[in-house]
Amino acid sequence: MNMAEKIAGVWPEIALLLGAALCLLVGLARSVAIRRFTGWIAAASLLVAGWIVAAQVCNAGGVIGLTPYIKLAVVAVGLILLMVAAAVPVQLKMTRDIEAGREPFEPGLVIRGEFFAFFLFSLTGVMLTADASDLVWLFLALELTSLPTYVMVATSRDRVEAQESGVKYFFLGAMAAAVFLYGFALIYGATGQTSFSLIVDAANQQIAAQGRISPLLTTGIVLSLLGVAFKIAAVPMHFYAADVYQGATTAVTAFLAFVPKTAGFVALIALLGLLPDGYVPPAITWLLWIMAALTMTVGNVLGLMQSNVKRVLAYSSIAHSGYMLVGLLALHGSGDALGNGTAAILFYLVAYGLATIGAFAVLGSLQARGEEAETFDDISGLVRTHPVLAGVMLLSVLSLLGLPPMIGFLGKIYLFGSAIQHGFVGLVVIAVLNSAVSAVYYLRIASACFFGDSEGHTVSTPGISRPLAAGIAAVAALILGFAGGRLVSTARDAGGFPTGRNDVVTTPSQPPAATTASR
Amino acid sequence: MTTITLAVSEFGLYAPVGILLLMAIGFGVANVALSTVLGPSRHGKVKGMVYESGMNPIGSAKRRFNVRFYIVAMTFLVFDVEIVFLYPWASVFPSLAEGSPYGVLFLSRMLFFVLTSIIAFAYAWRKGVFRYD
Amino acid sequence: MTDPLHSLTLAHYLFTGAVLFVLGVIGFISRRNLIIMFLCTEMMFQGVAVTLVAFSRYHQNDTGQTFVIFLLTIAAAEAALALGLVVLLFRRRRTLDAQAWGEMKG
Repeated sequence: MNMAEKIAGVWPEIALLLGAALCLLVGLARSVAIRRFTGWIAAASLLVAGWIVAAQVCNAGGVIGLTPYIKLAVVAVGLILLMVAAAVPVQLKMTRDIEAGREPFEPGLVIRGEFFAFFLFSLTGVMLTADASDLVWLFLALELTSLPTYVMVATSRDRVEAQESGVKYFFLGAMAAAVFLYGFALIYGATGQTSFSLIVDAANQQIAAQGRISPLLTTGIVLSLLGVAFKIAAVPMHFYAADVYQGATTAVTAFLAFVPKTAGFVALIALLGLLPDGYVPPAITWLLWIMAALTMTVGNVLGLMQSNVKRVLAYSSIAHSGYMLVGLLALHGSGDALGNGTAAILFYLVAYGLATIGAFAVLGSLQARGEEAETFDDISGLVRTHPVLAGVMLLSVLSLLGLPPMIGFLGKIYLFGSAIQHGFVGLVVIAVLNSAVSAVYYLRIASACFFGDSEGHTVSTPGISRPLAAGIAAVAALILGFAGGRLVSTARDAGGFPTGRNDVVTTPSQPPAATTASR
Repeated sequence: MTTITLAVSEFGLYAPVGILLLMAIGFGVANVALSTVLGPSRHGKVKGMVYESGMNPIGSAKRRFNVRFYIVAMTFLVFDVEIVFLYPWASVFPSLAEGSPYGVLFLSRMLFFVLTSIIAFAYAWRKGVFRYD
Repeated sequence: MTDPLHSLTLAHYLFTGAVLFVLGVIGFISRRNLIIMFLCTEMMFQGVAVTLVAFSRYHQNDTGQTFVIFLLTIAAAEAALALGLVVLLFRRRRTLDAQAWGEMKG
């Protein structure tokens, strides 16, 4: 792939970067009215990026490969996240004081532009991760995803917990980055290449010569997987999740629950794509098996013991990473979505993202005792004061739980189905048991909303955008649950081609059959 | 399970990696352990005294620096490292044949890179990083 | 292609890189001062850089060294970020002791 083609592929990212730069500059304008525009600039650049991706998809004749699918998902979910996060700068006392004229305008103290710029930078990082065809590129894209989120966590709230959790997140993130970098260095050492396609060639040569890939390559991939596990909050890199999710403001928590996790899974898919076709060293199979089993069990068991809804949702997010790791084991499958782990993961990412963002957006819309709602007490009896929000919360937790009409149900069917087709029955049994355990805390959230004693909650966000975003996410989760066939077939098309061979021209697979999906 | 037998038979292949890791871990642990076991930790007035002709310190060394210094350090760090990208470019640029059609392209790429740094610099300036008052 | 681990001089550089990396890990886990913890992650990055350059020399191509340049940039960005975050936290907390964060229990 030459330079011009590469640049043609990253136009959506360029649009987002330009939007971010514009946000930075406009955010420093002297007039409040102009500064208030930064959120709209972010939305506009997301729309432009989405339009470019759509045009590229039309030109290519469908969503071929993982890259356009991820980009479309990032734009769509990014818009919902932007609605959730739009009010974050206004929640800060400093911004309110300056904008109300109580404090003089001081460029060093306004953060509106920075917040939206970092928001866009992080989304750009996910898109670039999906574009990656080289280890250097993958590393830069993962860092571009993560670095802005550290700042977003630390500056999202006036309370010192936000700063503490931001620092904690940053330090563990830096260590995880070093671990996967060491893995990348070993992969480079074993093959002498950083380009994905050349690494695959070298690995194939090793198979042809010795019947196995070199231990150095296996070790490199194992270390990379362990380091990237931080981004998806999987065991053994999971312990930051609850603290960071609790410390950040709820809108940023919703961002954390989707964006770095998507980048992480795309990177994991790309890294496993470095293995030659049909050959997975037992060490890697075991590692993924153990990681998946531990991640979902730890997430669900600890989720049972929490009294803070944000922490419950954090552990639920860990558990969902465990479910998606199950699909990672079935990565080298082909055929329809039921047998293809990549397609199942791509579909599940959207399903999980919608549901979890819906739940966090409801929490972020509520205020109890002058703070954002966090505990079970804060949401108890929600149905009496805000029946719509309570309904949205119900839909979200049902989708996370995976009950039939919701999109989460389809997602789990495909994930576990693909794993069963590849013979991982034991792991699927563990996953199903875990799903049953998770029902306890999901239903606890729902029952608090519907049967708890009412206390005084008020909708806190200025404007309608956050509750609206919650509603959109939940309704999307419901509608896509009924009409998921199209999305499943798209995910199937997207997942049908292993990454690392992105640059090989491929014809689109058969028209969407969606046999098991459309009902 | 065949995977177990496979794993056992492949175990020998990992010996060099394992030995490397063991040596690295052993070296690290041994040094930390040795320094805590062997190293005496005495604190006293004499030990804390100024060496030979040194001046007696005035005030506490734990005096806090103005935050401005950190911000300048931060900005320096970021712009400093961008210079690293100029070196590979500068070492290749003269070797381009004179009249080569890629000369302008090569130069404009680097100019674009410098432009991004200038935008960042302008942002930092507007943000008030370089003001001392 | 011979196994890269069996070349004598390469092994020396790899050992240096691995020692730097592991010392960084040990320091990160055992130290409680934020600045020192950050220095430890930097040390891990430098271990990776040594490894990459050694492999680059072994494979006789420049890709590894290119990687190191990008790695250094990211390391600098992280250093700037770390300074900013630590200063932010220090203004609030007046200490750099990581154990002083009692507000949150995992």
